[in-house]
Amino acid sequence: MDEHDIRIRNFLYRRFVEARQTSRVDDVAREFELTHTAAAAALRRLHDAHALVLERDALEIRMLNPFSCVPSAWRVETGGRNWYSNCAWDSFAVCAALDSDGHIESSCADCGELLALDVRDRKPVQTDYLFHVLVPARQWWDDIVFT
Amino acid sequence: MNLFRSEEHLERWLAGREPGATTSVETLCELAHAWYSDRLDSDWRPHTIEHNQAILDRVGLTGPFWRLGPGADLGGAA
Repeated sequence: MDEHDIRIRNFLYRRFVEARQTSRVDDVAREFELTHTAAAAALRRLHDAHALVLERDALEIRMLNPFSCVPSAWRVETGGRNWYSNCAWDSFAVCAALDSDGHIESSCADCGELLALDVRDRKPVQTDYLFHVLVPARQWWDDIVFT
Repeated sequence: MNLFRSEEHLERWLAGREPGATTSVETLCELAHAWYSDRLDSDWRPHTIEHNQAILDRVGLTGPFWRLGPGADLGGAA
């Protein structure tokens, strides 16, 4: 990931957070005056560097961690804005990235009952839930969507 | 990476599978802030694997399960 790729990465995040738009290859090509092929290659490099996650079967952005660019089971509200995240960790991380209090909603992975948590001053208000990670850290990126 | 109402719910969900690692929500929140608070900085740079491992160590997530592998050194976590 060279400096140019980092600028593209920063553009993707900024556009997603500020304009609520998930960029596509053509958006990158236009912004950075690249050919479609070069812009596509940049997205693939960023995916390979784990700076974002592309869909498995399409050149479209699925994750700008901790944000999910597609609807998910993890919902986060911060300052009147609503987001999707990718997992329990990323839900708290949305609050961290935006430096904001927040309200997280998802469900117990076992029974499906609604779980609601608030973050205030960088700390959880409700503390009676358990966080479980099934996949060891060294294998997280083997299949990040499953992780 | 899931949340559960209680240990009982986690055990039922595992259904005999080998468990991974379980932490409190307080630790998870601390981890999230340490790992991701720079994510939208205009001068963001990829974390090194050593940097991310130090974050895990600092919040008490140590041992073989929490040893990072290739790919955890750049943009992502999970």
